[in-house]
Amino acid sequence: MPSDLATCLPLLIAAAAALGLAVVMSPARISRTALLARGGTGLAGMVAIAGAPSLDLLVLALLVLAVLHASLPGKRDFSSRLQMPVVAVVLIVLALVFARVQGPELLQRLAAVGIAAGLAACVGLLPYIHVLEPEDMVAVSPTVWIGFVGPVAATAILVRARGLLSLDAGTDLGAMLVGLGLVNMLWGTLAAWRAESSTRAWHYSFMADWGLALCGFGLTVADGQAAALLILVSIVFGRLPLYLASRQALRENQSADRPINLMVAAVLAGSAPFAGFAARVLLLRGATQMSWPLALVLAAGMLLWLPVSLRLGRTLGQPRGRQALGVGIVIAANAVVGLYPLPLLTLASR
Amino acid sequence: MIAAVAAFLGWLGVSIIVLADGRRGLAVGLAVATTGLAAIAWQEGDGVAALIVMGGGAAAAVLRYRAGPGGWVVMPPGSTPRLILCVAGGLVALWFAASVTIGPDGATRFAVLSVVGLSGARIVSSREPSSVVTAVATLALAAAVATRLGAGSPGLVPYVAAALIAAGALLLPVRVADAF
Amino acid sequence: MPSLAVLAPIVIPLGAAAVITAFGLAGVDVGRITCAAGAWGSVAALLVLWLSVRSTQELNLGALGFGSSLLLRIDAVGFAFGLIITVPAAVLLSLQPRTWQEATVAIVGVAAAVTAIESGGVVLTALAGGTAATLAVVQLDTEDVKAPRPSWGVLLGSWLALSWAGVIFEAGAGTDGFAAVPVARLTVPVFALITVAALGASGLFPWRSWPAQLWSRPSLRAAGMSVATLYPLGFYLLVREYDIGDGRYPQPALNGLLAGLGVAVALGAAIRAQGAPNRREFLGEVIPGFGGFALMTIALGTPLGLVAGLLSLAIAGALTACLALLPDRAGLASLVAIAAAVGLPPGLAFGARVLGIESTFEAGNSIGLIGLAGAAAWVVWIVAAARAVGLPAGRDTAVAETFPRIALAIAAATIVAGPALAAFQTAFANPAQGEVMTGSAAGSVAGGLVAVETVSTVLPALTLFIPLLAMAVIVYAFAGKAPVRGQARPALFTIPGRETSARLWAAIRAARVPEQYRSVVDLRAIEPAAAGGHAVLWLAALAALVFAVTR
Repeated sequence: MPSDLATCLPLLIAAAAALGLAVVMSPARISRTALLARGGTGLAGMVAIAGAPSLDLLVLALLVLAVLHASLPGKRDFSSRLQMPVVAVVLIVLALVFARVQGPELLQRLAAVGIAAGLAACVGLLPYIHVLEPEDMVAVSPTVWIGFVGPVAATAILVRARGLLSLDAGTDLGAMLVGLGLVNMLWGTLAAWRAESSTRAWHYSFMADWGLALCGFGLTVADGQAAALLILVSIVFGRLPLYLASRQALRENQSADRPINLMVAAVLAGSAPFAGFAARVLLLRGATQMSWPLALVLAAGMLLWLPVSLRLGRTLGQPRGRQALGVGIVIAANAVVGLYPLPLLTLASR
Repeated sequence: MIAAVAAFLGWLGVSIIVLADGRRGLAVGLAVATTGLAAIAWQEGDGVAALIVMGGGAAAAVLRYRAGPGGWVVMPPGSTPRLILCVAGGLVALWFAASVTIGPDGATRFAVLSVVGLSGARIVSSREPSSVVTAVATLALAAAVATRLGAGSPGLVPYVAAALIAAGALLLPVRVADAF
Repeated sequence: MPSLAVLAPIVIPLGAAAVITAFGLAGVDVGRITCAAGAWGSVAALLVLWLSVRSTQELNLGALGFGSSLLLRIDAVGFAFGLIITVPAAVLLSLQPRTWQEATVAIVGVAAAVTAIESGGVVLTALAGGTAATLAVVQLDTEDVKAPRPSWGVLLGSWLALSWAGVIFEAGAGTDGFAAVPVARLTVPVFALITVAALGASGLFPWRSWPAQLWSRPSLRAAGMSVATLYPLGFYLLVREYDIGDGRYPQPALNGLLAGLGVAVALGAAIRAQGAPNRREFLGEVIPGFGGFALMTIALGTPLGLVAGLLSLAIAGALTACLALLPDRAGLASLVAIAAAVGLPPGLAFGARVLGIESTFEAGNSIGLIGLAGAAAWVVWIVAAARAVGLPAGRDTAVAETFPRIALAIAAATIVAGPALAAFQTAFANPAQGEVMTGSAAGSVAGGLVAVETVSTVLPALTLFIPLLAMAVIVYAFAGKAPVRGQARPALFTIPGRETSARLWAAIRAARVPEQYRSVVDLRAIEPAAAGGHAVLWLAALAALVFAVTR
């Protein structure tokens, strides 16, 4: 199996599982067929992205997904939903051009800038946040990019960019990713904590997790990459399904403080024994090898997840029936991955 | 010489797309840009790729000509900033292609940079779905041609994909935002 | 003994949790019986594992994926702390009524705490300890979301700090195993990290923190379990630091610093206890008081200090179960519990404190002053106890949750077992001390079942305490029952400046950004600008990135 596809395999499996869970948990009023069709299309697009033999084809696959997603009916118009993914495509194409043409070393660095900015725009991170309309269905909202397609796209982009850039440009890319990561960590946690709307709070919490993932990608050691992968898996099969499970309670303005809400808060906060804690251990390991002040900043930043997570855990309300089962599955899966992440990491490194 | 003309056509076509709001103007812009990009590919020695680009772009142009806001509407009132964008974008792309970068593919570099940049700007700044989709088609074709800038042969897959995207995007039903 | 048996103390409670859950989902509540079986099963497994072999047993189940392997070991330290955690937990789980959901969380918390004790490496200990902390918070919030609980942020931060120390070991030494990390890797910064983690994990602060606050909850079910499972873990880390450091801390000054902190914790608890407005609040300071004395002696770095500290922790564990089962009303149970808690002779607590203060004098130099402060704290405790006998009750717990006779039995047992101090020390604490202080030059604790022999003296526990016990029984028998009316009593003394500091703290918490500057730091105002899809922001960000890479 090509190593690029192998790296994305755990994410694809997590995405497929998340889609299955979303279909099972969806309330009756939402057509499960439509959800399956849209999710399946997204999944197919992700497979195409992960399996694309070059960054050019990856970008084209991204463009297709962006157009298809933007054409779905929703509160925001086609053009505004297409904006940011197209910015990502443009930036990455320009980065490819700069990386390939002959010229001064500066062009390689500009290519690195294009890759970093393009990645942030694709996923919807600060400063390229996709505009969120809280009333929109999840399938047409930017959550699709930040929580479903984005992890695979970002991983695939970075894996291919490795072979494209020079050593110095690669170092610059790493530094930019760490910088963007720290900014998104801070913004994501603070904005999620202070946001008036709980839907926005959820969206910003995705950004906070992405901040950690970007820091992991930016650390050029294996532990950093492993940490990033674990965080992305916890986004796709942790944060995303839990967000979907909370949608009904968000609409009805419910909140609860039951054991399940606290367990969800623990999952979201990256508390032991869940996947987020293992990822944080790996991230601290990688950061310690590179620069201990960075590890100190990361460790301090990780504490900011708690108040946010407690807030988000309450927004789940009192899940019942299939929703409760789905939430239980997510909690259990995150605990298993958190205690024993080796199979997942081995799968990605084949 | 042919390469330079092709590159100019590429820039001209995408500039028309930036400046036009009506379906005729958009279709002509798309056709001109496609011609330029196909000529670039043909000039590089890949005739099949050029045909594929031409085919996809032409199909998209025909589809655009048949559907969208009526008329030409080229340079409507208030389009001065767009005109400045086209000129400035072209100049910046020219400077990059001719001065900053080196090598024999100057025309390709100019065409790709100008088409990608201006079509991206059109998508970001416009709210009208027709012009956005037209720019998406152009962007896809330019991204395919950009593969020629790398070492080695990219094969036909990027061109086929781009052509399908260009034509397919024009076939997609685009809805406006929900009223509630 | 097959090495796989090391898993037993963990697997048995987990199995119990699975059974409770399965039956619970089917609508049958088997919580209490199964919990009791699981917890006592864990105790039995620990006893069988250790007593049958009396040497370290290890089990390595391979890499987990985050740099550590699933390395479990039972040695003397693990055995000691395992009992300190599991025995009180087993008592509480056997007696107190819980819903099946609460029972599941509680027994899994016990399994997590035992895993932390059995873990052979720092990172795995952090993972397991963090899990135990999470489950404790879930238990507490499930029972009563408004009642006091530990700060989740402090607990999470503590275990994260420990995991960071673990990865520092892994990065520098290639391993984080307690027995494998080179001594030179325990530098002062890493030691500080682990110590901060330990202090945060157990709430070892001079001010009133969660080990005291939990006892003021309306129900003591989750509080008792949380203290039983979480409180000893911080001390476990401090003891393991001796393991890593080959019997000592990186700098002698650190011993003095920590011992001083211990005395501050004990003194703080004593001062709060003597000013407690009701009996419940007085009893709430008992565990922090024991913790302070334990910290003081464990931190000394001497064998006697470590032994005294372990004895104090064991007694604290027993009293955790006692206090959680004690009804808050005047009576024999409360009287005996107070006597046991304050360390009246000839109880185990009395013996442990005598040894502890002796250890400070034997450590020499200025450490003796710390011992004097410890003795002063003890005196304050005794006065506070005398005052507490007549205090009114606080908020009583539900009758179904209290077992006054069991509480009385536990408290009485710690007093009556005083003469067995030497035996207790020999069988329980000495092996643990020997495990981590193999290279210690500060002497050792000897003696047998009758007396405790230290460097400078001998404490004839059996021969001295038995007559004391007999005298205490005779005095009590002849004293008769005098009625005690609970009433508010003035504190012995108040700390000067306490009200001022309270007002200052309240002012700091109430501080707000002035109105005219709020827009500068108003995140809600910044949010639309950042998330509104403005092309200017995108271009500016791009320019900033270009500048960053090209300068």
